[in-house]
Amino acid sequence: MTQRAGTSLEFAFVCTLSDGLHARPASHLAEAANDFVSECFLTNLRTGSVANLKSVLAIISADVRQGDQCTVQVRGSDEQAAHAALFRFVEQALPGCDVPLAGIGLTSANGTLPRALRAAEMKCCFGSPVSSGIGQGKVVLLGGVTLPTGLNEPVVTDPETELGQIKRAIASVRSRIREKLTRQKSSTEIAVLQADLAIASDVSFAQKLTENVSQGRSAGQAVMEAGEFFMNLLRRSDSEYIRERALDVEEICLQLLEEIYGVDLVTSPIELREPSIVVAETLAPQQLLGLDRRWLRALVLEYSGATSHAVILARSLGIPTLVGVKNARPQLAAGQEVVVDAIRGFIVTQVSPAVQRFYEREQRTLALRREFLPVQTTGPAITADGKTLEVAANASSYEELSLAFENGADGIGLFRTEMAFLHRDCAPSEEEQFAIYSEAARIATGRPVIIRTFDLGGDKVAPYLNLPAEGNPFLGYRGVRIYAEHRELLQAQLRAILRASAFGNVPIMVPMISSLDEVLRFKEEISEAKQDLARAGIAFQQHIRIGVMIEVPSSGFILDQLCAEVDFFSLGTNDLNQYFLAVDRDNTKLAKLSNVLHPGFLRFLRKIVHDIHEAGKWVGMCGEMAAEIRHLPLLVGLGLDEISLPAAEIPQFKRAISQLSAIDCERTLDRVIACRDKIELEALLEQAQPSWSTQPLLSKELVLLGSESNNKEEAIQEIVDAFYIAGRTGDRQRLEEALWSREAVYSTGLGYGFAAPHCKTEAVIADSIGVLKLKQAIDWGSVDREPVTMIILIAMREPQLANRHMQVFSKLARKLMSEDFRGHLLAVENAHDMATYLARQLDISLH
Amino acid sequence: MKIVAVTACPTGIAHTYMAAARLEKIAKTLGYEIKVETQGAMGIENKLTENDIRQAQIAIFAVDIAVEERERFNGVKVIQVPLQEALKDPHSIFAKIQR
Repeated sequence: MTQRAGTSLEFAFVCTLSDGLHARPASHLAEAANDFVSECFLTNLRTGSVANLKSVLAIISADVRQGDQCTVQVRGSDEQAAHAALFRFVEQALPGCDVPLAGIGLTSANGTLPRALRAAEMKCCFGSPVSSGIGQGKVVLLGGVTLPTGLNEPVVTDPETELGQIKRAIASVRSRIREKLTRQKSSTEIAVLQADLAIASDVSFAQKLTENVSQGRSAGQAVMEAGEFFMNLLRRSDSEYIRERALDVEEICLQLLEEIYGVDLVTSPIELREPSIVVAETLAPQQLLGLDRRWLRALVLEYSGATSHAVILARSLGIPTLVGVKNARPQLAAGQEVVVDAIRGFIVTQVSPAVQRFYEREQRTLALRREFLPVQTTGPAITADGKTLEVAANASSYEELSLAFENGADGIGLFRTEMAFLHRDCAPSEEEQFAIYSEAARIATGRPVIIRTFDLGGDKVAPYLNLPAEGNPFLGYRGVRIYAEHRELLQAQLRAILRASAFGNVPIMVPMISSLDEVLRFKEEISEAKQDLARAGIAFQQHIRIGVMIEVPSSGFILDQLCAEVDFFSLGTNDLNQYFLAVDRDNTKLAKLSNVLHPGFLRFLRKIVHDIHEAGKWVGMCGEMAAEIRHLPLLVGLGLDEISLPAAEIPQFKRAISQLSAIDCERTLDRVIACRDKIELEALLEQAQPSWSTQPLLSKELVLLGSESNNKEEAIQEIVDAFYIAGRTGDRQRLEEALWSREAVYSTGLGYGFAAPHCKTEAVIADSIGVLKLKQAIDWGSVDREPVTMIILIAMREPQLANRHMQVFSKLARKLMSEDFRGHLLAVENAHDMATYLARQLDISLH
Repeated sequence: MKIVAVTACPTGIAHTYMAAARLEKIAKTLGYEIKVETQGAMGIENKLTENDIRQAQIAIFAVDIAVEERERFNGVKVIQVPLQEALKDPHSIFAKIQR
């Protein structure tokens, strides 16, 4: 139905979208309208509200719901074309704008909560843990329109005056943006400013402000509420673009508030003054680096994929981090005390005494586990059949190196240098860089620190480089590609690294290589830096090793050529995988496709390692793929010379390597590569995990006497934690659940104050017996209804080839029926005697 | 009186053997001759032979799962109880026999 209304063209439609014209369809509609110069308006006939079709904010706030009748008016020089295009869009494309998106791949780590927390009936919200750990502190909301504390409560005068204040603020903000626009040359900056200007001039935004004031709000309150209103609308969008507009709204609101209150809000950095949990929508690496790490206990991000650079940085700094926490900001109040559990993947929003007790135990457990593990992991990692695999750490600052070597790192497989380049107004000087690299070389005392030359571009933007805005930054101007334009910067860095080479072993690695030519060019740059230093009589290592980071697939097919030019390689699996599979690693909707276990990708990796070894060169892996212990059999199977991962993970990796056989791992890789589906692959990988079958059934670490657990949940948790500390389980949740599902059949309380919980599970690395003796008897639902004080726990590793410990378990079970045996167990005073007595009775060894 | 018994529990790690030990002990104190077959994680152990079964006046099944090779007991009087009974109140099982 098309007609001429007054001087405009008009058509009507009924909104069929189940969620109405929310952010996503609204953005498409606005996009369509912006192709034309004609004025385009949308009228919602239900509410009578008229919206500028070129403004997303306006369309969203027109509140068009399913079934609402609307009209679109077009007027202007190209109105015929605009009318036709918009009509076609509304008829054909709009209904498809709302197709439900496929489920997002990120889920919480283990799904269920530990029993002790479930019993505490705590409140929580879930997310995906991407940097493991526990953090407790006060919520600090990053972003969102909130006034800093200390400002006077706004006093409401009459609406006229308040509105006048807002109008003046808007006028002044707009003129300031316009003024900046005239001075700005960078296209990125211009785009940002134009977006700001569009919001500051948005009719609907102004309407909302007026509305708020007329309802008795002060100018400041009106701005905050309008800001929250639009930001909430925009944040609901699945489109990254629209969500970013929420940040623009926030920016404008803060500027308006500055005008109104006459204070500096935008530029004041977030200052942390107490243990803090920083909650944000997304975080730029620079923002993270700007936070005071003495007080930063954990990060909670609403969006952001598992491999964004902020997340990688957080992991490397050991900051517990959850991502994908939907609507974290509306749910958490600034100043609220919370616990972030970035091991299991949730935030406890009400810290009750039971929760507090749980996490105090948890902190003790984690500390004990850290203490226990390194004892077994000093020295190189050698597989059971004698193959050495270097285990190195990734680092972004020399401060991290000591911790890495304490954890048993054989070297630094990737030393990122971007940190010194980001979050500042000018590039770091040669001297500044030399100080960093030479300190790193000194701390490493001869162990290699592979320094990667600056990898800027992509999401790592250094303003002084004036990198252009790009439609597709990851496929754009970054890494080695910008070196020609920034030769001085490169030379300064190369000289700094070369000078540091006089103090230790600092191989140079270049990122984003896709062709031989780039390598040759890079080597020329190194020669030039060497000549400069030689002329100046400055010492450096003449034969410094040069390596290439393999992250662009093309480099994997010219290895014969590259091997002739360089000494070593390192697989940057994050980018290599995203380029190989054409999957944006930060796009949460593609999380399921972003898969380093893709058979094609594994075949590619195997080819790369093969080609490099063929040429007699060295190859490591420094991407996230190397940081997941589950992948270890494949990494060993690939025959890598080194893996480089976050320092805290090193002890368990070294221990696991010693339990694997390189030959078995090669076979596993062969079979995995041939897999036709994911289930089969996972099963193969599971079977290939190290079993530590050489562990004794019982050791004194698994005997806990004098326990203060005061219920069944805590008691089971305490033994499970002891298993974890001793390295017998890496998945406490699964072990706990296996025990509880057995308890669900009927209680394992066998009477006489004894309980014998037990399970078969993949979650233990070896058959194990644990003992817990309680100070206070607790209810266990026993057959004789008596409380229990003695718990004997049996965990059987599944699957296993031979039930070689079943004889012992059945003997133990039978003995528990003997009054004599039970009497002895109750009488034993210390863990050592208990372990010895049990070992003798069961005829087992403790070693 | 000669008794044969079978014990079996869901995981077959602990209760199968605890129940077996318990039945053996009580039977002994009551003066019965008993042979208990366990069907646990190790499979069938102390297996009841055709002869054992033929000679027994009664069979006790203290089980939470189906008895394997159940057909061996065709024609024998069977008292079947949940395994937990053997731990909770084993005497009541033997009382049933006397009835």
